[in-house]
Amino acid sequence: MNNAKLFFKDLSVCLVVLTAATLAGYAFKAFHLADADIIMLYIIAVLVISIFTSKIQFCLISSVVGVVLFNYFFTYPEFSLSAHDAGYPVTFVTMFITAFIAGTLANKLKRNILIAEQNAREKEEAALLAQNEQLRANMLRSISHDLRTPLTSISGNASTLISGGDTLDESARQQIYTDIYSESMWLIGMVENLLYATRIEDGRMQLNISVEILDDIVQEAVRHTERTHSKRNIIVDMLDEIIPVMADANLIVQVIVNLMDNAVKYSDENSDVTVTVRRENAYAVISVSDHGTGISDEEKEKVFDMFYTGGSRSSDSRRSLGLGLALCRSIITSHGGTISVSDNIPNGTIVSFTLPIGEVDLNE
Amino acid sequence: MNEYLVLVVEDDKPIRNLITTTLKMNDYRFITAVRGREAVMLSASHKPDIIILDLGLPDIDGVEVIEHIRTWSDVPIIIVSARSEDRDKITALDKGADDYLTKPFSVDELLARLRVIQRRLMKSENISVTEFVNGRLRIDYASGCVHLDDEELHLTPIEYKLLCLLAKNVGKVLTHKYIIQSVWGTPADNSEASLRVFMATLRKKLSDSSQALIQTHIGIGYRMMKL
Repeated sequence: MNNAKLFFKDLSVCLVVLTAATLAGYAFKAFHLADADIIMLYIIAVLVISIFTSKIQFCLISSVVGVVLFNYFFTYPEFSLSAHDAGYPVTFVTMFITAFIAGTLANKLKRNILIAEQNAREKEEAALLAQNEQLRANMLRSISHDLRTPLTSISGNASTLISGGDTLDESARQQIYTDIYSESMWLIGMVENLLYATRIEDGRMQLNISVEILDDIVQEAVRHTERTHSKRNIIVDMLDEIIPVMADANLIVQVIVNLMDNAVKYSDENSDVTVTVRRENAYAVISVSDHGTGISDEEKEKVFDMFYTGGSRSSDSRRSLGLGLALCRSIITSHGGTISVSDNIPNGTIVSFTLPIGEVDLNE
Repeated sequence: MNEYLVLVVEDDKPIRNLITTTLKMNDYRFITAVRGREAVMLSASHKPDIIILDLGLPDIDGVEVIEHIRTWSDVPIIIVSARSEDRDKITALDKGADDYLTKPFSVDELLARLRVIQRRLMKSENISVTEFVNGRLRIDYASGCVHLDDEELHLTPIEYKLLCLLAKNVGKVLTHKYIIQSVWGTPADNSEASLRVFMATLRKKLSDSSQALIQTHIGIGYRMMKL
């Protein structure tokens, strides 16, 4: 709020409260209550003003105005600033001092509360920051460890080819080419996830949300997966309607790609991987299902944790940073959606997530 | 021997080798440049049919190279950029680049992009001003009628405008910004969302759910493929 606005707000608080006190004073007078009770009303008014205004000056001014109002409206002669009773000047001074001290204390109390709140907030932020640092440190450690393996394989294989490529037979050479290729493809996928993981700040993903057509996002993810995994049957089960969702399209593509990668990794060659899109109230539900070995109930709770890699369960010996599903969850929750894992029937896994449906006001 | 001459502008040697090896294996003729100014000079002196241009060059920016070349030539330009340079990619497309490749790209992707450009180059040789035919799609500009095979499609004015714009630029990636400016004139807050919905309905009417005819480039724009 700017200064002028704040000033007028505080001023109107003073006016309203003092008017209310004066009106209440008239009511008191009508019931023949003593002057002391009316003075109390003004002291309460100053207390209220001190709490609801921003500056101590308002407390000072309203103390003075309170005394003047009391003098004007309630002491004999009424509607004048003179007072006949000799005791009144003392009453006025006492009233002013009481009101001002009470007001100052109330103001101080208010400030202390604000400061305490701010301290608590800062502490919370510091804790979150430390947690992020911890997460980043864990990630870097895990990454540098796990990137070494494919890099060793790639550089070693390449150096073998350079120094003694001719002495190897064709099938051995072919194996080396394939290894180099698949290891670098793994690195490419990993780097993609890392790039997105760097966008996590304060535990949340920095998003670039707009209205996107779900069909476009799913098609893009499927195209990407088909390029890298040609040995799976990918089935897309979409609704006929156009579903606009509120999403950061690149991130959601990455989520679906990660889920499909997992589905491929944990199921057999030539088995089906299905992407299903449904609509449930204000959400679109996207599911990726496979017919692989499935996930035990105990593990279901852990799969979304950062760096959880599913132990020795994986059907082939493919490495994983355990970054994929954690990243997916981070992306989906930042979108205001949920992600969950369940069993496919008769076997396999279904991972489903939701996205809020978007509103489009067509520009015809 | 392939009749097309490709100019490869890339300062990173391994990537340049990868591209030229691929071109050699597929019988393209090629020349290479390492710097932007060199690229501008070579494209003037050798008149290449296609240019593959890396955006991050040591001397002048790739976008600047496009601006220079576009002052005298419509030669198709495929830009190559790293993942994090989405904005640069859009700028380059708006400045007149035709297509883009994102690092890391596969050899197959590179060849596919070249084929798209070649199909377009062949097409523009027998251009017609009154009618546009692409696969099952036929637009009759004079009567404003659109046919899919023999069936007439009923398009809204906006859908028709969009389709014509894509058809006129077949093979070229058009950015959201460019399409919005061409179809609506002044962009409004809801333009991008509207565009996405209109494209989706247009694609439905064209029975193009597999995106064979109109491709969506997420975060970038759309392109009609030459079938």
